[in-house]
Amino acid sequence: MNEPSPVVEVRGLVKDHGERQGRVRAVDAVDLEVPQGQTLAVMGPSGCGKSTLLHLLGGLERPTGGEVRLAGRRVDTLSERALARLRRRSVGFVFQAFHLVEELSAAENVELPALLAGRSRREARRSANLLLERVGLAGRARHLPSQLSGGQRQRVAIARALANEPLVVLADEPTGNLDTAATLEVLRIFEDLRSAGQTLVIVTHDERVSATADRLISMRDGMFVDDTRMVGSGIGSGTGSGWLGGLVGLEG
Amino acid sequence: MGSLVLVVRLGLADVRRHRVQAVMLLLAVTVATATMALGLSLRGVSDALYEQTRAATAGPDVVALSGVTGPAQTSALAALADDPDVVAHQGPYRVVYADLATRDSLTSHVVVHGFAETPGSVDRPLVTSGRWLRPGGAVLERGFATALGVGVGDHVTIAGRSYPVVGIAVTAATSIYPWAAQIGPYGGPSDSTGLAWMTRADAQALASSRDLPVTMALDLKLRDPAATESFIDAHPVPLTLHSWQFTAEQDMVILRNSQPILVVGSWLLGFLAVTGVAALAAGRAVEQTRRAGLLKAVGATPGLIATVLLTEYLALALAGDALGLVIAHLTAPAIASPTASRIGDAAGPGGATVVTATVLAVAVALLSTLRPALRAMRTATVTALSATAHRPRHRPWLTALSALLPTPLLLGLRLTARRPGRAVLQACSTATTVIGIVALLIIGAQPERGYGLDGSSALPNLRDEHDRRVMLAVTALLVALAVVNTITFTWTTAMEARANMAVARTLGATPGQISMGLSTAQLLPSLPGALAGVPLGIGLFAMFALGKWTLPPSSWLFGAAFATLVATAALTALPARLAARQPVARALSAETA
Amino acid sequence: MQDAVLAMLAKEPAHGYNLRARLQRSLGPLGESMNPGQIYVTLARLEKAGLVVCERAGGLPERPERKVYALTPAGQQRVAAWLAEVGWPKPDLAEFHLKLAAAAAARLADPVELVAAQRRELLRRLREVQRAALNEPAGSRAGLLLEGVVLRLQADLRWLSACERAWSGNDDEAEDA
Repeated sequence: MNEPSPVVEVRGLVKDHGERQGRVRAVDAVDLEVPQGQTLAVMGPSGCGKSTLLHLLGGLERPTGGEVRLAGRRVDTLSERALARLRRRSVGFVFQAFHLVEELSAAENVELPALLAGRSRREARRSANLLLERVGLAGRARHLPSQLSGGQRQRVAIARALANEPLVVLADEPTGNLDTAATLEVLRIFEDLRSAGQTLVIVTHDERVSATADRLISMRDGMFVDDTRMVGSGIGSGTGSGWLGGLVGLEG
Repeated sequence: MGSLVLVVRLGLADVRRHRVQAVMLLLAVTVATATMALGLSLRGVSDALYEQTRAATAGPDVVALSGVTGPAQTSALAALADDPDVVAHQGPYRVVYADLATRDSLTSHVVVHGFAETPGSVDRPLVTSGRWLRPGGAVLERGFATALGVGVGDHVTIAGRSYPVVGIAVTAATSIYPWAAQIGPYGGPSDSTGLAWMTRADAQALASSRDLPVTMALDLKLRDPAATESFIDAHPVPLTLHSWQFTAEQDMVILRNSQPILVVGSWLLGFLAVTGVAALAAGRAVEQTRRAGLLKAVGATPGLIATVLLTEYLALALAGDALGLVIAHLTAPAIASPTASRIGDAAGPGGATVVTATVLAVAVALLSTLRPALRAMRTATVTALSATAHRPRHRPWLTALSALLPTPLLLGLRLTARRPGRAVLQACSTATTVIGIVALLIIGAQPERGYGLDGSSALPNLRDEHDRRVMLAVTALLVALAVVNTITFTWTTAMEARANMAVARTLGATPGQISMGLSTAQLLPSLPGALAGVPLGIGLFAMFALGKWTLPPSSWLFGAAFATLVATAALTALPARLAARQPVARALSAETA
Repeated sequence: MQDAVLAMLAKEPAHGYNLRARLQRSLGPLGESMNPGQIYVTLARLEKAGLVVCERAGGLPERPERKVYALTPAGQQRVAAWLAEVGWPKPDLAEFHLKLAAAAAARLADPVELVAAQRRELLRRLREVQRAALNEPAGSRAGLLLEGVVLRLQADLRWLSACERAWSGNDDEAEDA
């Protein structure tokens, strides 16, 4: 059993919000391991603590108790500066509201993390162009976010999240503001990332997103209530296509 | 390296997006720093002009004035001329006290120096137009000639006799016009006096013809020009000895009021700049907080975020600072030398002035943006990302009170209560404006003693005129900044309150009532501001005023406060109207977007 | 499905393999598992019912795929009736609902567990359809069909979530009481 340590490892994670009287336990003693290359979806009703969990994993919030490790390194005890460096190097965030810098073009937004990491301007531009190509927006590099559709903005945000080749991409309701077609665009990119071995943690209430994951955790009241490994992978594998074909009966 | 690119890029992008705000900050800082730099560099410029005049005219190091003419004084003058510390001298020459009248019947005191037709090695007045002395002709000092409006070829009447003006010249041996006498006849005090030169013979003839008071003067060049102090101390003679440093200092008298006007004015301008920019920055606090959260999420350190948030303002402030210093440099000679008695160019503002102006600029940028920037940095990332305008506190007593009032007043009161910080800024802004106007009125109300004979104001008092002009300029700048502030405050309030106002309109309020409400929201805090401005203005004037001064009628002062309020109301009307006319549906949807 | 085959013949008579290709194109991945012989079985039935006639194309009479099928007047009427019809498949949720009720009443199984198992199955199906949808080029007809399947599965999954909440809630109440 000499496996490499999981990308994300969480032990007894607890997070309380609010002060004394109004204290709410958002995450309640959660254990979690996400191995390299896994796509994990976390589902649950709003307020179940799934977004808080994601923020804790990415160091956007500090836990009340428990441990968070990224690639074996303890992160919940890091200083604010160290956390910033960690987010810059190891974590890519994708948000429901995109959170692009409105004044900067698509390419400039994608360059942000690379520049923050101290890479040269030319290098940052080159990798940004590659990433935009990867998300199918090579032609939109100079557009401002306001000139892009919702799906395009989210793809720019994903490209930005990938800018520093993070250990894990954390996505918070990435399709929450998108219509069907845009959702498919985003899911296609996630699918590409998955096949490229990118570790992904997606918090969502959209079943279509969670259905494409390797593993699905259901959360309620800050706890995990279900943990399903999804096996059988779609087309060509043959395992499930019987059902798919059965949807159309020629017998009528 | 990458971070620097980022800071610059984000700053530039932000300036592009918020042009009006950037221009406002730039202008406000420019005006404030220019005024301050001007105020601080007056002494330096005045000294520099004296120095240049002194160099160009072989100005004496020490001038010995006899005060009264007696044997003791005559022998003392002769002894001084032979003193081993004296390397060169001119004179003793006659100083004749007379009256002068021009053809336009302007009259003034004048001192006539009896000089050689070929000037010696010390105190060689520099002829700026015409030529040097010839028998029967007079040369007028340039500051005096300019005040009289006399040029070469004109005739002036000195002690009843007409002389053609053959030349105009400047000298460093006396202070600028109207302090050419330096010492009155018989050693008494002197009135406002101009300077003229005549040949020795003409001066003697003039003195004896009318039995005019005469004193003797001697220009000295010392071995060590800097050691005037010790020279004077070492020669306890029955004479008045004026060093060149004393004369240079005397030049500053004419600027004695304009300097505090400019410096205090620059504080007030800086204060207005802070209030205006702070209101704008506060209006953008939500946006800044979100941006900070966003940058944190992609891995920016707190330090970098602070840099991003502050750099833009600091860069604009420093640009304004540089611009202000250039403007100060260009205008300094005109402001520092209201008479034409000196020649030369002003050097650039001194190091201390540059530092002080820069401190002012940085202070404006920091004071107005530090609070929102700190809040943006301190807010937890997650909260920051979902930041919305902070919910103003509910004040039940105000709501209860406002229920009894007519609609516009009710809306205005509620708007004011929602943003107490902005109300305070508006009050301060108004108070500052009124302070400026009150000071202007007080200066305007002072009785003026002209430079003519017996205080005739046919020859205007250059110093008072100068003070008034400077004060007027400062007040105009104050008013201009206050106008911009008021418009911004109203517009920001209107934009922030737009959803609530839209709701009020769906409930039946008319656009007219809404715009009245918005205007009222600005007027309510302006009222105490204007009232406080009157005593504050008087107090500030009293702190810096020299000598006696009288207060203008209080009806003037409160009239000014009232006029300020009326102007504020008028100014708020336009943005308020524009905001109130927005279609309800758009305003409602804008808020939810 | 018989109606669909009839409707495809309304434009012009066609060969069996031609019909099969058109069906598969419209169905996309859903049509891949279609049995090659199935279309001929359907056509044979339609012919027996007098809705289509089979004409042998000239030239090579010994090759059966050279058969060309055409609509009869009765077939045309049936197509017209089919187009006018507004019937819709009923979602059959009652059975699962009753399963939960029965399981709870007789304490045969934990309804919440049943819901979870069902949910896993539906998610597996959704995953399959979703994968198929992702492989379709944007804007394809077949993609539209897959979209419909996805949306129905999503609706079912949401209903299962409601079931889960309701049944776990009942549990709590029972314990509280």
